[in-house]
Amino acid sequence: MSYSHEHEPIPKHAEAERIQVTMRDSRGHCRTPAYIRGKIGVIERYCGNFENPEQIAVAHPAPVVIPLYRCRFLQKDVWPDYCGADSDTLELEVYEHWLEAI
Amino acid sequence: MEQDLKMGPHDVGGEDGDPIDTNDSGMTHWEKFSNGLRIAVSASKVVTLDELRCSAESFGDDYFKMPYFERNGLALVHRCLERQLFTDDELKAARESAEIRFNVPVIDLPNPESFTHLHDGEPHHDHENDFQEDEAGEGPPGYYFDMLAVADLLVDRGLITMASVQQKIEQFDNVFPARGIAVVAKAWSDPKFRDFLVRDAKNAIIDMGLQLESFADIICMPQSNDTHHMVVCTLCSCYPRSLLGMPPSWYKSRSYRSRVVHEPRAVLAEFGTIVPDNVEVRVHDSNADMRYLILPQRPKGTDDWSEADLGKLISRDHLVGVRVPEDVI
Repeated sequence: MSYSHEHEPIPKHAEAERIQVTMRDSRGHCRTPAYIRGKIGVIERYCGNFENPEQIAVAHPAPVVIPLYRCRFLQKDVWPDYCGADSDTLELEVYEHWLEAI
Repeated sequence: MEQDLKMGPHDVGGEDGDPIDTNDSGMTHWEKFSNGLRIAVSASKVVTLDELRCSAESFGDDYFKMPYFERNGLALVHRCLERQLFTDDELKAARESAEIRFNVPVIDLPNPESFTHLHDGEPHHDHENDFQEDEAGEGPPGYYFDMLAVADLLVDRGLITMASVQQKIEQFDNVFPARGIAVVAKAWSDPKFRDFLVRDAKNAIIDMGLQLESFADIICMPQSNDTHHMVVCTLCSCYPRSLLGMPPSWYKSRSYRSRVVHEPRAVLAEFGTIVPDNVEVRVHDSNADMRYLILPQRPKGTDDWSEADLGKLISRDHLVGVRVPEDVI
């Protein structure tokens, strides 16, 4: 299911695929929180294609359209000292240019 | 290493934080105006929400020193100046004009002779504050005049209308908060609608006749005996406003934004919600283009209740996932 009206580009990652969030720095406005960079999870769903917020934030005249995914992580994989249940999870949205297949 | 990746003062997910003040302090008149203006401006695409966030994020150490609405208001001022929608001098002049206008009582008082009966025969004293207080008796903060000035300047340039600002204030007060409750009450009453909502929330809600004034998409997460969902926005305060109204003060607080992603069960306990270990807690960081509506389980003991009565059991806190509605026994 796509939530936006942009059909291109075709998403690279499939549901349930294992992914790693890129471990790198960013400049300016970005929607990939530091805490999730470098972490390994799975694609929960593809959300459709959206304009890159990093470019919208600087009033770019034609922001590139990028697939957005909801990704699921086990809390114990995100926080080494996580003290809740082993099955607890964390989900957030990551744009494709921040994801790597593993 | 992780410290190096922090994008700025706003990127707080995973930090330690204070206990959460679970009370909602509500909004003053000034805050409602600032919020209405910000939403009207971003809805008209004069300045985008991402630009406003970007400006706020550039405030450095001042980011968390300023109250939420002041921070967002000043971000709007900064971005409008940067985009050269008006100049510093124009802003200064508009601000002075707003201050002068504010100091004049907005209604003409009748001749004091004609209403001494209202004051037990005493002459009326025309206090400057007669028309300038909020519910708590406080006057406006300084940034409010910047907000009035920005509104005047953008209206002058034909970029927004004052009616659109007023409409946002009215919707946030009276329209948006009731919608999420109506959606959940319908889902509790109508299994087909519930399935539609969980599968495709945006269209299910549109199908109900609600037009959501939002660029974002809605995803509905149903609470179950196996999974407890809760929502946070670690980077700012993304929230399904057109379904729930304004986020409460705790949702925007540094502590909530920092702690939910790494100690959700401790945060839930502060709201009085204890989730057993055999139930998965699933945190949704609402960090991009989706917005989340949590669908609580229908309380036991309500089998023959009408949608209207069911609605009375539902509160905003249930729809963010920090509390669950109690069974009716």
